[in-house]
Amino acid sequence: MSIVQALIEQVEAEVEQAAQHGRVSRLDLVIGRLSGVHVDSIRFAFELLAPGTIAGTAELHIVEPRATLTCLECQAQCEMDDLQVQCPMCGSGQITIQGGNEVLLQSIELEDADEDCCREEHPEGQ
Amino acid sequence: MKIVAAKSILKANDQLAAENRARFELERIFAVNLVGSPGCGKTTLLEGLFRQLGNRIGTAVIEGDIAGQVDAERMEKIGVPVVQINTDGMCHLDATMIAAACDGLNVSGDVMLFIENVGNLVCTAGFDLGEQLRVIALSVPEGDDKLVKYPVIFQRSHALIITKIDMLRHSNFSVARVREDMRRLAPNAAVFEVSALHGTGMPELADWLLARRSS
Repeated sequence: MSIVQALIEQVEAEVEQAAQHGRVSRLDLVIGRLSGVHVDSIRFAFELLAPGTIAGTAELHIVEPRATLTCLECQAQCEMDDLQVQCPMCGSGQITIQGGNEVLLQSIELEDADEDCCREEHPEGQ
Repeated sequence: MKIVAAKSILKANDQLAAENRARFELERIFAVNLVGSPGCGKTTLLEGLFRQLGNRIGTAVIEGDIAGQVDAERMEKIGVPVVQINTDGMCHLDATMIAAACDGLNVSGDVMLFIENVGNLVCTAGFDLGEQLRVIALSVPEGDDKLVKYPVIFQRSHALIITKIDMLRHSNFSVARVREDMRRLAPNAAVFEVSALHGTGMPELADWLLARRSS
């Protein structure tokens, strides 16, 4: 829940900083498979918390990159969905793991403010 | 139009955690984040540790629970300065809560501050509080497969404390397996076997904490 709260605040800050207007139509997140963050929980919390906020109109798109495991013994390289403690090829514990830990707001898509907005602001201009 | 942010969602927490860390250094507070499942013995462990540490260094506690004052009352009974955080449903502590709690703590001089996190092996892994050390308690009755099932929190800990070892004879818990799993996940982490109720292993744990503080 607190991750989604932080996300909504971050969207508000980014939109304000970019001095843009319009409806937030899409949010792209990157949540690595080793981050410990559960995508289903994010979606569930988003459904609860986003309505009524700047993110309430947004579609949530989440990419879940894998981590890369490199074995220092047999030189095997493979992608992982979960945190491993040994090489799946040779069983050695001498492994390095890269990536898979990201928890990122990658991008925000805004639909431009349409003409109806302007008419409401300047009704006499119709 | 698209705004490309490419920023960590946890950035706000990480930034505040860094501020907490700097504040702790300035105020000579050595902060230890204690995590573990509900019922693994965190509070009893702290009671035992405070008996060991009592004369050697000032101590204080921030207690984190969803509700109630139960743990804070236990700390008050043994005379340790304590602040209780009630998260009202949130399953972990975060840097904002710790910053606020520290304002309520009345401590001065060299202090070892324990932050007893909400009982949870999942969400506590993702939130830096600004601590110098993160230690995880795993009790014998929980079983020896927890490192495989919840690897992230174990990997991110500086020490594993196997608690309730007086219960080994009633259990098929394999200390060797847990030690091996921890070696693979966090090769530099220390592992301790303790019984806080009976005092087994507690002096060694206290000595290690004091040594870490000095280094």
